[in-house]
Amino acid sequence: MNPIFLAQWMKDKRSPLLILSFCGLSILATLLFGFGIDSQMKISVFKAPGMETRQAEAWLHLLNKGETIKFVIQDEDQARSEVREGRTDAAVQLMENDYRIIAAIDNPNVQLVERHVHSVFVEELRLRAAEKFADDVGTFRREMAQYQGDPPLVLNLRTSEGDELIEYNMSLQLLFTFSLFLAMFTVGYKINSISMEKVAGIWSRIILSPVSKFEMYTGHLMYSSLVGFLQISAVFVLFNFVFGLDLGFRFGMLILIAGIYTLSIVAMSMLLTGILKTPEQFNMVFPSAIPVMPLLSGAYMPPGTITNKFLLGISEIFPLKHALDALVAVAIYDAGWQEVFLSIAKLCIIGVICMGVGINLMERRRR
Amino acid sequence: MHCLFPCILAIANGLSPIWEVEHMLEAVELRKVFKGKTAVDNVSLYLDEGESVGLLGPNGAGKSTTISMISSLLTPNSGDVRLNGASIVSKPQLIRQVLGVVPQEIALYEALSAYENLKFFGRIYRLKGKELEVKIQEVLEMVGLKDRQKELIKSYSGGMKRRINIAAALLHDPKIVIMDEPTVGIDPQSRSHILETVRQLNREKGTTVLYTSHYMEEVEQLCSRVYIMDHGRIIASGTTDELRRILSSEDTLLLQLDKQSHELANELRNLSPVRQVEETENGLKLIVAKQNQFLSAVVQAAERHQVQLINIHVQTPSLEDVFLHLTGRTLRD
Repeated sequence: MNPIFLAQWMKDKRSPLLILSFCGLSILATLLFGFGIDSQMKISVFKAPGMETRQAEAWLHLLNKGETIKFVIQDEDQARSEVREGRTDAAVQLMENDYRIIAAIDNPNVQLVERHVHSVFVEELRLRAAEKFADDVGTFRREMAQYQGDPPLVLNLRTSEGDELIEYNMSLQLLFTFSLFLAMFTVGYKINSISMEKVAGIWSRIILSPVSKFEMYTGHLMYSSLVGFLQISAVFVLFNFVFGLDLGFRFGMLILIAGIYTLSIVAMSMLLTGILKTPEQFNMVFPSAIPVMPLLSGAYMPPGTITNKFLLGISEIFPLKHALDALVAVAIYDAGWQEVFLSIAKLCIIGVICMGVGINLMERRRR
Repeated sequence: MHCLFPCILAIANGLSPIWEVEHMLEAVELRKVFKGKTAVDNVSLYLDEGESVGLLGPNGAGKSTTISMISSLLTPNSGDVRLNGASIVSKPQLIRQVLGVVPQEIALYEALSAYENLKFFGRIYRLKGKELEVKIQEVLEMVGLKDRQKELIKSYSGGMKRRINIAAALLHDPKIVIMDEPTVGIDPQSRSHILETVRQLNREKGTTVLYTSHYMEEVEQLCSRVYIMDHGRIIASGTTDELRRILSSEDTLLLQLDKQSHELANELRNLSPVRQVEETENGLKLIVAKQNQFLSAVVQAAERHQVQLINIHVQTPSLEDVFLHLTGRTLRD
């Protein structure tokens, strides 16, 4: 087994570009997408013809009380052209007692803006209607502000166990997604080297040596697993200890889950190598099939976004989904082994089945 | 029919047929079918210790499949391969301990140097430390690439790669070496180096060699006995002299002409002693039954077609001629 393992290491030592590039891509993608999602959405507003600037500024002040969207006054033509060219999702035209949403397409961001603007306008117009009955508008407004600051009824959100609701960290989910996703590529291409060695005749040469089939497969599989595992671990370590991203209190558990996940993707790659006849076929099919997995697993979206039962069913066969569930549970919700047991068990089952069928298919082709 | 000839002769002389004598390595009635197509059909051959045996045949004749079965890489559908009388089909490890195989393809890691490749192949044969180092230098010396051992395989020429491909099969001092077309597509210098390596292996080290090729001249130079394969069957076997004797009733005439003439070729084809006519680069190659009057007929025919005969050469039959005679086509067809 050692010579097989060492030969793979020597090859990668000579040309480490593949591993390093996938490692770099995981880091880059997380930095790019994971740390970009917290920034406020910027929406242009402009006033309707005949509206006073003072009135527009009053609405702008109210609209900007929220934290998720930043509204900025803009020239009408420019705001409309930005929407037309797709540089912004929506713009808002302010009127004295009304508004218009300017959008090119309907998407979740437009709905978010619409909801926010609607609630601000409804509240303010109600207050304006109420203040007509007040003796002193100034006192009424002060009392209302005080009332809203200290309402008689406070809604408190708690988890079903009564714990404080934890804010979901999407950056963390994306870090896990990109790390796990790109490790699939590294591992897949490493496993494909078995097929390449078979085509080159190296595999036959080794079969004729005293090295057993078990040692041959173990050497390759151990090397691929180790490379994939080190890649994921390196990214986790970098983000936790260098970039200061909070990965929870159970870093060791995260690493262990990454290890189990790596074994399952090694098995999945073996299955694909077994099904596909040549390394060229693998190189064509693998990069096309793999990107579908995080999409169907909803790995790029907040939890609960995908509700289609068919898609959810398909995602059950992907190791990425279960590894992501386990990692998110441990890092964000501080889950223990009992809570992530089901996800880990599914990873193990996928690993065992894929490995068994994959090796069987590879061996059958030889006879 | 010709492969049966030595056997019938042996039985007539009161000897056992070849498959009843214990040889170092023998394949008995091997058969291999791939998806309903018979690649190897009833092939029997043997190798005695220290022999250099050629397995000759055109591409697709079934040579590689035969040696894959002999080397235990493929399991035959029927038949047996025996090493010193013991079947290796059920116990492949018997032959693997004493066998070195040089595959037709360059089975090396292109990203590693020659030295690193040999180190890897030595390690899989459980060689290590000083012993491994000595063996690596020895085989590098043998293939003449000692001074370029640190260079990457991908930077080597095709011929150099083939030489390292051979070296990798010799690290563990195998008693039997099977070479599958080791000189395909290489430069003359590397070819002569490889042929010299095979000679050295066989004569100086006493290694038994099974050499497959579709180059007649290589087999004639290297091998004492030859098996000729076509369409998955052995169509002739024996020493090179025995095989040439198949054509003892025929002569090969090489006619050098001042110009090509299809009409002359057609007329000669119709003459009764002519068995085969092949148009060559500068004339015609004829295989004819031995006959005294034939040359004058050729001269007259040439005159009739206004073709000048520059040279007439009567050639000793080569294995190529034997193959042509047996199959009606050349080895490179």
